[in-house]
Amino acid sequence: MLGVGEHFPAFSLSATVSIDKGKAFQPITGQDYPGKWKVYFFWPKDFTFVCPTEIAAFGKLNHEFQDRDAQVLGGSTDSEFVHLAWRQNHADLKDLPFPMLADIKRELCAALGILDPKEGVAQRATFVVDPENIIRFVSVNDLSVGRNPQEVLRVLDALQTDELCPCNWQKGDAVLKV
Amino acid sequence: MELEQLLESCPEYAKDLKLNLGAVLRQTELTERQTWGTAVCSAMASRNPRVLEAVLVEAARHLDEPALFAARAAAAVMGMNNIFYRFRHLSTNEKYGSMPARLRMQVIRTHGSDPVDFELWCLAVSAINGCGVCVDSHEKVLREKGVGEETILAAVRIASVIHALAAVMDAVTV
Repeated sequence: MLGVGEHFPAFSLSATVSIDKGKAFQPITGQDYPGKWKVYFFWPKDFTFVCPTEIAAFGKLNHEFQDRDAQVLGGSTDSEFVHLAWRQNHADLKDLPFPMLADIKRELCAALGILDPKEGVAQRATFVVDPENIIRFVSVNDLSVGRNPQEVLRVLDALQTDELCPCNWQKGDAVLKV
Repeated sequence: MELEQLLESCPEYAKDLKLNLGAVLRQTELTERQTWGTAVCSAMASRNPRVLEAVLVEAARHLDEPALFAARAAAAVMGMNNIFYRFRHLSTNEKYGSMPARLRMQVIRTHGSDPVDFELWCLAVSAINGCGVCVDSHEKVLREKGVGEETILAAVRIASVIHALAAVMDAVTV
């Protein structure tokens, strides 16, 4: 599995962005959010039990992520049509404010190293990626355990308290290059 | 209120400041953007609403939105950093130097304006807020980026005069 400090793999996937006919699908790549942090979180399968609560919880916190210049992106190995059907079907997912990536060829999940060896689907992995596309946080849960999006937000906050000002310059240090 | 009008109301004992303001704003060491951005962030750091308002009215004629945003961002973030890092510098307990700040300062990366200009504005605010470490480090960064002492001093003059005018205007309303 890829770790902190490594580049998030390049990808180009179809994503489900809304339940409006004709506007439901959009191609998304890793370069589409210049200058933003990204929070990628994957789940094993659409239409299963643990996932909707987590996904809806990320949705409720979406504006907090946006405030921190972070784009949330969900994903699984299901197709964009399955994502669409699920969003249309489940009350908590109808107005989901972020895209669901369809990694149907499993290329992104394989590159990330998060395909469950037994089930062949994505594990419950979360990646926080900085504007330079470097992975800054990774977390994986076993298939049946949900995540806490508040914790992801807390981590993002902590990552964003980099001391970017040369005012923290100690005598003898190289000057910070921003 | 226009800057002209504000200066009309400047008391006689502060005539030097009134005349200095014209001179420091008309200097040729700084670009138009640097001049007016420095005026904006200095006015913010000097905390007199009438001076700030008058400076903003005039600055809007010389700065685009992104520059205005960045100048204000410099005053905002340095308002915090000047206090925090000055504390570290003032305290003889060196342990504070190794403890993380845990303060967001993302706008230093995301201000969206010219990096040299932004650095100059941070320096001006640091001069006003009186943080020696901040002044020193921003000054060093500016010179590493090829900015000369004449330019730096030109910005500090603007900061000095605006700060003095703000104090006078505070007094005038009492």
